[in-house]
Amino acid sequence: MCYQYEYGEYGVTVLFLGQTEANTLYCLFKGRYRFFPAGLPLLVILCNKMAVVPDSGVLTFSIFKWSSYSSTYLPENILVDKPNDQSSRWSSESNYPPQFLILKLERPAIVQSITFGKYEKTHVCNLKKFKVFGGMSEENMTELLSSGLKNDYNKETFTLKHKIDEQMFPCRFVKIVPLMSWGPSFNFSIWYIELHGIEDPDVVQPCLNWYSKYREQEAIRLCLKHFRQHNYTEAFESLQKKTRIALEHPMLTHLHDQLVLQGDFDVCEELIDKAVRDGLFNQYISQQEYKPRWSQIIPKCNKGTSAQEVNRDDINSDGDDNRPGMRGGHQMVIDVQTETVYLFGGWDGTQDLADFWAYSVQENQWSCISRDTEKESGPSARSCHKMCIDSQRRQIYTLGRYLDSSVRNSKSLKSDFYRYDIDANTWTLLSEDTSADGGPKLVFDHQMCMDSEKHMIYTFGGRILTCNGSVEDSRTSEPQFSGLYAYHCHAGTWSLLREDSCNAGPEDVQSRIGHCMLFHTRNRCLYVFGGQRSKTYLNDFFSYDVDGDHVEIISDGTKKDSGMVPMTGFTQRATIDPELNEIHVLSGLSKDKDKREENVRNSFWIYDIARNNWSCVYKNDQTVKENPGKALQEEEPCPRFAHQLVYDEMHKVHYLFGGNPGKSCSPKMRLDDFWSLKLCRPSKEYLLRHCKYLIRKYRFEEKAQSEPLSALKYLQNDLSLTVDHADPEETKEFQLLPSALFKSSSDFIPLGFSDVDQTYAQRTQLFDTLVNFFPDSMTPPKGNLVDLITL
Amino acid sequence: MSTSNANFKNKCVTQVNCIFCESLLCTRGMKAVLLADTEIELFSTDIPPNRTVDFVASCYSTESCKCKLRDIACLKCGNVVGYHVVAPCKPCLLSCNNGHFWMFNSEAVSTLNRLDVTGLNLLLWGDLPELDDSENEESESPLEEECIRDEDICRVCFSPLRPEL
Repeated sequence: MCYQYEYGEYGVTVLFLGQTEANTLYCLFKGRYRFFPAGLPLLVILCNKMAVVPDSGVLTFSIFKWSSYSSTYLPENILVDKPNDQSSRWSSESNYPPQFLILKLERPAIVQSITFGKYEKTHVCNLKKFKVFGGMSEENMTELLSSGLKNDYNKETFTLKHKIDEQMFPCRFVKIVPLMSWGPSFNFSIWYIELHGIEDPDVVQPCLNWYSKYREQEAIRLCLKHFRQHNYTEAFESLQKKTRIALEHPMLTHLHDQLVLQGDFDVCEELIDKAVRDGLFNQYISQQEYKPRWSQIIPKCNKGTSAQEVNRDDINSDGDDNRPGMRGGHQMVIDVQTETVYLFGGWDGTQDLADFWAYSVQENQWSCISRDTEKESGPSARSCHKMCIDSQRRQIYTLGRYLDSSVRNSKSLKSDFYRYDIDANTWTLLSEDTSADGGPKLVFDHQMCMDSEKHMIYTFGGRILTCNGSVEDSRTSEPQFSGLYAYHCHAGTWSLLREDSCNAGPEDVQSRIGHCMLFHTRNRCLYVFGGQRSKTYLNDFFSYDVDGDHVEIISDGTKKDSGMVPMTGFTQRATIDPELNEIHVLSGLSKDKDKREENVRNSFWIYDIARNNWSCVYKNDQTVKENPGKALQEEEPCPRFAHQLVYDEMHKVHYLFGGNPGKSCSPKMRLDDFWSLKLCRPSKEYLLRHCKYLIRKYRFEEKAQSEPLSALKYLQNDLSLTVDHADPEETKEFQLLPSALFKSSSDFIPLGFSDVDQTYAQRTQLFDTLVNFFPDSMTPPKGNLVDLITL
Repeated sequence: MSTSNANFKNKCVTQVNCIFCESLLCTRGMKAVLLADTEIELFSTDIPPNRTVDFVASCYSTESCKCKLRDIACLKCGNVVGYHVVAPCKPCLLSCNNGHFWMFNSEAVSTLNRLDVTGLNLLLWGDLPELDDSENEESESPLEEECIRDEDICRVCFSPLRPEL
């Protein structure tokens, strides 16, 4: 059962979190954490996940309005669920917008979910994309859901938005708007609809009360904002006194007072400074997009320098062998503690390699640990192997390799498993054949992750190498993929966690090659996505809880959200940042010759694990050559595959090396370039400087009207201090500012009925700009009253 | 690919309607049997019926022969009414056939025998004007994205011939 508590004028739910020693109750109230004195009859408990929700039942509704229907496919048919009757559905007359169905609930209710029924077979009229809106009136509806159905025969249920800031709101009308069907030229059909929610008046009535109070409150706030903008002081004060509703956080009222009324710019700067230091701008920063900054690393030359500790090499007169040569299919790992990148093996276009390198970020130098690891009891030359590093114990593991079909019969297909100890500089053969030890068979294009905490290694996928022309096995034509294995480093044993399975059970995993797998050290889950299985590109995304042995499907990849998620079929390299809870994906060239277009560039995506959403940081389609100065800044590695990308989560830098540029004219060409990537968001310092710039710029413009000479001095000194003269854009803007000194007449038009002058209006504008950096919970409403007036 | 074979000239021209929503699908139908399984009756036509049907899903083959097929559905109600032969297999192409590549399943359609200009006799296929060869060729082109690409892929297991190297 859900309890509502009336606190003050609000009827809201309060989450009781605990009792402190001072006999106060610590609660989550309207999206904010508060203390309440104990002794208040506080009852509620509604928490995001651990909800004690009221009984949610099927809601009764009728068809209120429809856009069209064709033939006998009437809207009323959605009230009945008959999956084997092709006529038991609503079908629109055409697929020209607008098409919709408006349902009216028998009683206002909190609509929590919607269920779509289907036909017994796949049907081209199923909705691939649709939106659901809801509201208390037909004219005033808000979007509750934007999604799509799978084209199958299973019912699908979706949660609808039914809360604002933890407060449930009721609806009387629900509008379903089909946007796209599974066959683009076909009409839209809906077979059956069920709505679930809470109808109980004891629950709904308080929500209705809250809803009308909320609307009224927002209307009053808009009025207050309007009055203040137009300097209707008495009206403002009178309304505020009567309703006791706050337009904004007191800090912002103070800012407004100092900026707009007093014109005390110094105090304003101090206020902003304090706000930044108190972390109030953090929410704004986290919402900004990352800007990628690639820079090519030119390492120091080794010749002539005195022997370095790191350099264990036996460099002879081969002179220029002080950095790794060109290659693809190699492996890189990074030791974050010492900022060292290790690189091993690969294919240089002609043969497999067995050289082993270390790059020191601090020294900006490569050193060759070994020219041929096989000579030092290490692995033979190989490519398409996988490596992982245990930074804690300073050990590197390598497993798997690719063997050309021509040598598969002659060379051993044993899956050897090696470990390299960094400090001892020795290789150890952990197993001659992991398959004999209960582990995976010899694979390539698999993935491997290290769990330092529990001293375990996880490996998943990859294609199993088999002999050719084996007569007994009639199924040699079927490619075999390796499952999910765990290696217990301490015991030296393997266990099979999941076999490759094409079943769609909740714990089944489908194996693959060329996928991405990452281990999240904080929540201790493996994240797996993408890959290829024979000629099918997979775009599912799942996580595996290693401690709980539990698979969680994040996205089954059937919904085609093209443009919203990294495209499949393009080589992806992924890294994870457990602290920021993000996965970074660099998507480049497709292995598939037919999918390679001339102009394709890299695209970089970030997956926010907590919010479960992908955002594209950049997607370059052509080279931009307008501004030669800028072109260098925007220089980035050419698209490629078979490269390596590693991430230093401590210093927030990515490193990329080599790969195959896929030039059909020179198929043996490989790359040996080395890049670093930093993802930048505006920093607190930058924002502070930017706000000061805005304040001082305005102050200069105001001064320019009355005291031009004094203004000029101000421009040259104080204002200039806030400009980054190394940045071409900022410099350009700064250079245009003096024109304000020469503007004589102002083009200010007084607003209608109010008596505001130019100064007041412009200061208000500056205030509105500064307010945007503060979190929404502190600011006045974003909209304006006048915008509600339509012609 | 014209219906010049004498056997087919005496067949009736049927009008084909969708059995679910009764909309018109095609006015040039011919009752025929499936080459691969002569028990199955259906209605075929030579001109791709546009504006009345469209493709759904992707190509497939049946057990009986290697022809590449793709289902078509009535544009009005979205129900599958037949299929189109995207690429016929050699045996079917070489055997006696009416040269039609658009088929309607008899359970999905209702048909009507058409009458000629006089209104007294049944309209026969021999009475219909011949089609241009160019028109027919258009309907045969297989859709690019559905074809299996031969290069770079192992014909047996469909994996790429080289891994990322």
